[in-house]
Amino acid sequence: MGGTTLKYGGLKLIFLLFAVFALLPVLYTYLTALNGFESPGVLFSYQSFVLLFKSLIISFFVASLSTFFGIIFGFFLYKTQIKYALFFKVGFLLPLLISPYILAVSWSDTVFLLRGTGEPVSPVVLTVLVLTFIYTPLSVLIVGNAFSNIDTSLEESGLLMTSPYKVVFKIVLPLVKPAILASFILVFIFSVSEYSVPSYYGVKVITTEIFTRFSAFYNHSDAIMQSSVLLVVSVLLLVAEGKYLSDAPFLSVGSKGDVRKRYYFDKIKRVALTFITFWFLLTVVIPLIILIFQSLKNGMPDLWKAVELLRNTVITSLEVSFAGALLIFVTGFAAAYYVVYAKGGKRIKKLFNVTMLFLFALPSTVLGISFIVFYNRPVFDLIYSGMAIVVIGYWAKFSFISFKILENSMKQIPVSFDEAAIIEGVPAYKRIFNILTPLILPAVFAAFIFAFIFSFGELGTTITVHPPGTGLLPVKVFTVMANASQSLTSSMVLLEFSVSLILVVVLYLFYVILSEKYGNIRNKP
Amino acid sequence: MKYFYLFVVLVSVLFVSCKRDNNRVVVYTSVDQVFSEPVLKEFEKETGIKVEALYDTEEAKSTGVLNRIIAEKDNPRCDVFWSGDPVRVIVLKNRGLTQPYLSPEAKDIPEVFKDSSHYWTGFSARARVIIYNKKLLNGSDVPTSVFDFTKEKYKGKVAIANPLFGTTTFHIAALFTVLGNEKAMQYLNDLKRNDVIITTSNGDVKNKVLKGEAACGLTDTDDAFEAVKESNDVAYLFPDQYNGFGCLIMPNAVCLINGSPNTVNGKKLIDFLLSRKVEKMLAKSCAQMPLHKGVQVPKGIPQLDNIIPMKVDYNKAAGKLEKIQKTLKKWVEQL
Repeated sequence: MGGTTLKYGGLKLIFLLFAVFALLPVLYTYLTALNGFESPGVLFSYQSFVLLFKSLIISFFVASLSTFFGIIFGFFLYKTQIKYALFFKVGFLLPLLISPYILAVSWSDTVFLLRGTGEPVSPVVLTVLVLTFIYTPLSVLIVGNAFSNIDTSLEESGLLMTSPYKVVFKIVLPLVKPAILASFILVFIFSVSEYSVPSYYGVKVITTEIFTRFSAFYNHSDAIMQSSVLLVVSVLLLVAEGKYLSDAPFLSVGSKGDVRKRYYFDKIKRVALTFITFWFLLTVVIPLIILIFQSLKNGMPDLWKAVELLRNTVITSLEVSFAGALLIFVTGFAAAYYVVYAKGGKRIKKLFNVTMLFLFALPSTVLGISFIVFYNRPVFDLIYSGMAIVVIGYWAKFSFISFKILENSMKQIPVSFDEAAIIEGVPAYKRIFNILTPLILPAVFAAFIFAFIFSFGELGTTITVHPPGTGLLPVKVFTVMANASQSLTSSMVLLEFSVSLILVVVLYLFYVILSEKYGNIRNKP
Repeated sequence: MKYFYLFVVLVSVLFVSCKRDNNRVVVYTSVDQVFSEPVLKEFEKETGIKVEALYDTEEAKSTGVLNRIIAEKDNPRCDVFWSGDPVRVIVLKNRGLTQPYLSPEAKDIPEVFKDSSHYWTGFSARARVIIYNKKLLNGSDVPTSVFDFTKEKYKGKVAIANPLFGTTTFHIAALFTVLGNEKAMQYLNDLKRNDVIITTSNGDVKNKVLKGEAACGLTDTDDAFEAVKESNDVAYLFPDQYNGFGCLIMPNAVCLINGSPNTVNGKKLIDFLLSRKVEKMLAKSCAQMPLHKGVQVPKGIPQLDNIIPMKVDYNKAAGKLEKIQKTLKKWVEQL
């Protein structure tokens, strides 16, 4: 990555590797499925449209609610002097460490405890609520990060002329529009491709239909072709995003390096703190208390049994997730850097976007089956028989998240910084590591941590492709819980949660050390 | 450029980090890991052959490994498929994905539990049972037949797993085979009219009855056995013992995969699974009923001789299943 030309060549090569290892198997499988597609009618049937419509409506509500709460919590935690902000910032991440399926079970138990055998809550409402609880932390982090990166001079100029409230609505919120949109899109796609929560609550959506085609009819071609509707939805979203953002003048602003502007909304500070505490209790404390209570209701034996069952899987899971997170991060960074800094290359930029979004939106089972169909041949034995196929699965699934977080953050750094360094003859790798990375360190941390957390807890693709005779933590929890007692299941989930938490704390400490080194500690995520 | 090299090295290390053992056997199983893993470990201990197992999950509704075998058909990786019921091995047989093997251990197993062409062999059976919450139902209130579920007094109180998946599919297919399409469909519609609760799995039926969300339900003996261990408020019974209809018996079923890479070891594993020793282990761990005569089982474990079985041909039930799946899907969607 010496000069400018070589730099983009390197970035394109990273992306090419991603396309070959992650995208090619899926395209190959689609082509194969097209040949064996028995019932084209399923794509255009009334029922398919109804299911797709239902999926889109649910996802729209989840994405809107999560982003709405993400804006509120992000603003108060990142832009005001609210008490215990750091505690809440880290605490809000916790629901992401628990599998959506487990949270669905946990919330079902909670609702039953609260309402007994009374009128049941609508399964659709429960699905929307649980998914909102799960994905709001993602929105908080994305939007919160954007709030931290706003050019303070713009806010200060505004404050000279008008009230803080007007500055927030007329200057601050428009400045973080790309982040709001990124949050909406990410959560929307997460929700639309989520299977376990709607399935648990008996809500029929497009992903449950695809699963039924696989599992009840063993019809891979129909299932794979039916998943193509998600591809269409994803591309439409991307087109909408591109159109909306292409004329937006706010993308060129942003100047890091100033002290972050804080607001003092004394009148509503208490209300905000109460609301944040309430949300924290509802989405973090209650599920955790239920897990701990259920885990310890028979004393310690089940907890020890869980340790015994899972201890051999922890190291392997950490290694595989770490490798996956590294690949995801590198790819996300390379794509984001190219999209933000490369002149021209519109088509390649679009290709980066569409490829990653497509793989992100693809249901896990379809991704897994594609990998089996493509990699299960002697020439790929080293990939198929080892953990490499799992790592590629994570790589395919989550690179889009890393890309979006980093792209969004890079867009807020003035291109002039990079251009000035080029004029000074600073080599590309120094510009990336000594100028850009310190400026976007919170986003770098967020991108890696999300890649790691999502890889560590990923189940759909992992269970489909992991090699026989290997043990990975989420897979082991799910295979054992089928016939385990409630307390043993809760103990295993609690352990999985604790391992993730310890790792997040370790990575956070590492981030703090890095931040101090770069003199950037004020930008804690 | 050095960072790019680092990246390439990392990917290469990942690919090279796979070790292979030639004295091994690959088994895919839809039997719950808590019960199947100790059996496979015992095989490893006894033979020195390394077992590489792939287990199914509750979330995949016990079809994950089956789908994997189908997806791997052009380059099979699996040697042996150990299924919790005969339907799935018959699905594989019908797709030409299994090969015949007559194990010497199978000779004492009754013919009804074996494929006549030796494509699969049954062992240790489970049964479909009625599980009920004693706090909510007792004495004469407890249903003794699956047909009781359609009675008014059980309206909204009965839970069954989604009939598109797992052993419930097999149960419904068996009902269609024995009762005929019309009567079986009428039964399903009566269940629907009686507000039957559809859960994601048999385990979920167990949980709903345990918590009192449902008064009773249909599940497998291993789930019922676990529930009874977990709580004194739950009990189970074998349905239709007094009306002659009988209770559905579901043996485990094992088959050898066509083109299996370790066929010799695969046959050894099948011999082991069909042995009396394994039937004894499964009786102890999950109340499964041995198919070999004279296998000693712990006290309290039911014996096949004491249960009136539903008279069903497994091959016919599997064939019926493929025909009624679309109807079942419609039925589930209309709930």
